[in-house]
Amino acid sequence: MRLEKCWFCSSTIYPGHGIQFVRNDAKIFRFCRSKCHKNFKMKRNPRKVRWTKAYRRLHGKDMTQDSTFEFERRRNRPERYDRNVAQETLKAIKKIDKIRVDREASHHAMRMKGKKAIERQAAAKELEQSIHLVKAPLALQEDPSLTRPKIKVKVSQPQAEEQMEE
Amino acid sequence: MAAYFTSKWSTIGSSLLGNLRNNIVFCASTAHETTRLGNSSSLFLQQLRTFIQMRTKLKVVDNSGAKWVRCIQSLKGRKGARLGDTIIASVKEAQPRGKVKKGEVVYGVVVRAAMQRGRCDGSEVKFDDNAVVLVNKQGEPIGTRVFGPVPHELRKKKHLKILTLAEHIA
Repeated sequence: MRLEKCWFCSSTIYPGHGIQFVRNDAKIFRFCRSKCHKNFKMKRNPRKVRWTKAYRRLHGKDMTQDSTFEFERRRNRPERYDRNVAQETLKAIKKIDKIRVDREASHHAMRMKGKKAIERQAAAKELEQSIHLVKAPLALQEDPSLTRPKIKVKVSQPQAEEQMEE
Repeated sequence: MAAYFTSKWSTIGSSLLGNLRNNIVFCASTAHETTRLGNSSSLFLQQLRTFIQMRTKLKVVDNSGAKWVRCIQSLKGRKGARLGDTIIASVKEAQPRGKVKKGEVVYGVVVRAAMQRGRCDGSEVKFDDNAVVLVNKQGEPIGTRVFGPVPHELRKKKHLKILTLAEHIA
């Protein structure tokens, strides 16, 4: 029994699920559900469809290189059953899974690092540029408490400016 | 496209907020329309695949000499034949000096079908075209070669000879 990957979204296909299409050159396309199969029939490229693993890998949304992915690899040599090895593997699966999840979380945290500051800057800019939609400019002049306080910046060389004006 | 428009409008900045909102609504509506159009066209393009029944044309994928056959009877199933079933067919087109001639009535095993068929584990399999391998009444293949992929379900149907001759087993 083998857990194959979906051709479109790269998710795992468990036994009894999905459909497979065999092209005349004997290439097999496996799909996890009808959603992926329909997208394939519409000739969509999985690299351009946002929700697929291929898109997320390509655009740096997910981890691409990690040693935990090495365990989940297609091996063509059959392994002889050994009770001890099977037990050890079952124990290791949990541990490896935990490590992978942690690394993915840290990858996400790294990716989202400067996002809050950027969002705040954009909001401040929006507020400054379009405050006149909320309050009329005349009202702002009458009541200075509505405007944002001006930040004073020290100018180091006032003489240079004067020369420019002349 | 919608994203492009919104970014363009936001960069201008001088436009009113109300204007912006109008634009977003407009973009959303256009996007919705395009998706709906795409769905309908795909439905129009896709052909519904059904059973192999009387008058279905099938490609012959062995070296028996026939090129195309037309199904005249399926030996199993009221609705028609599916992947792995045996049919009776008449040869519509044949190569000269082949084992079978045009107009002959032959038996054939469906080795590829465009209609999906359930596998023993509950998943499904489907192929590109409808193809057949000609056999005699005892179920032994007439030709000596089989081209293209064939499903492993033929083993269950006791067509081991076809499986051994096949190039690829899917």
